[in-house]
Amino acid sequence: MMVILLLALIVVLAVFSLASKDLLHSVIALSAISLLSTLLFYILRAPDVAITEAAVGAGVTTVIFVWALRNTDRMDRDR
Amino acid sequence: MKGDRLLRTLRILITMAAVAAVAAPVFLSRTPWPSTARDYLERAGVADSGAINLVSAIYLGYRAFDTLGETIVLLVAVSGTISILSRSGASLAPGFGSVAADNASFSLPQDKPTTHTLRTHLIEVVTGKLGPVVLLFGFYLMLYGHLSPGGGFQGGVVIASGIVFIAIGSRRDASTWLTKASALNKIESLGFLLLMSAALSGVFAGKGVLGNPLDGPLFGKAAFIIVLNIVIGLKVGSGIGFMCIAMLGRHRS
Repeated sequence: MMVILLLALIVVLAVFSLASKDLLHSVIALSAISLLSTLLFYILRAPDVAITEAAVGAGVTTVIFVWALRNTDRMDRDR
Repeated sequence: MKGDRLLRTLRILITMAAVAAVAAPVFLSRTPWPSTARDYLERAGVADSGAINLVSAIYLGYRAFDTLGETIVLLVAVSGTISILSRSGASLAPGFGSVAADNASFSLPQDKPTTHTLRTHLIEVVTGKLGPVVLLFGFYLMLYGHLSPGGGFQGGVVIASGIVFIAIGSRRDASTWLTKASALNKIESLGFLLLMSAALSGVFAGKGVLGNPLDGPLFGKAAFIIVLNIVIGLKVGSGIGFMCIAMLGRHRS
């Protein structure tokens, strides 16, 4: 039940990060997805993967995405 | 504008439906999971490799060659990223691009960093105090990877996070050697050299490449796994830390 709840939250956040016009919000949503997946992996008894997901997903990729945003545009303008 | 938004939502819905259609057979299938390898590992994993944490028994004992490949891929990724970025004129921290490019374009030696105007005392204090704790946790993960969840890669990435914390939290004029480009560079090169020598050392003990040369009465079987964990952790930590600190650098004006 907890797993389904977490997966549903992950899907919601993923859709939000796709739809959001402000790319910084998208990056934070991706970071939150990593956090939820960490919980998910821990519940599924894979603590090694959980540690990796927490460090890489919530830490390193966020730094890289924020850096990329800083060097480009914060707002999404697709048309 | 209204139709635009509708189209966007429609596209997202179609994408989600397509993903669901692809993933549905996986969830609906009733095929039993393969269990041969799992049963074998449960029976003989600890005796074979000496590591209680079976995950590190797999990735440094049975499948150490894959781990070597992953490490090389990571090295290529980090060096490729840095070399592309340092040529593209994007903003990197001083000293982290190639030397020639530094002198030419974006680094003046006495230049004070101007990026931190938005930095508050809260961030400075919290990250500065938290950094050493995170580093310690990373070293714990790295050193005890054969006993508890963790290992070289996980510990290395946590160490990189600690280095980034220290880099963010250190005050403007104070800096440690840990966040300098040259130190991280040296640690990464030394880590890779040690990894290669550890990989080849099995040959001289008559065990083949990545065989366990420390498997004797003097050390436990897990000693080789500990050595590989430490070396991989240092290499991954310094490599990813290097990349992140280079990107934390300065704002393009």
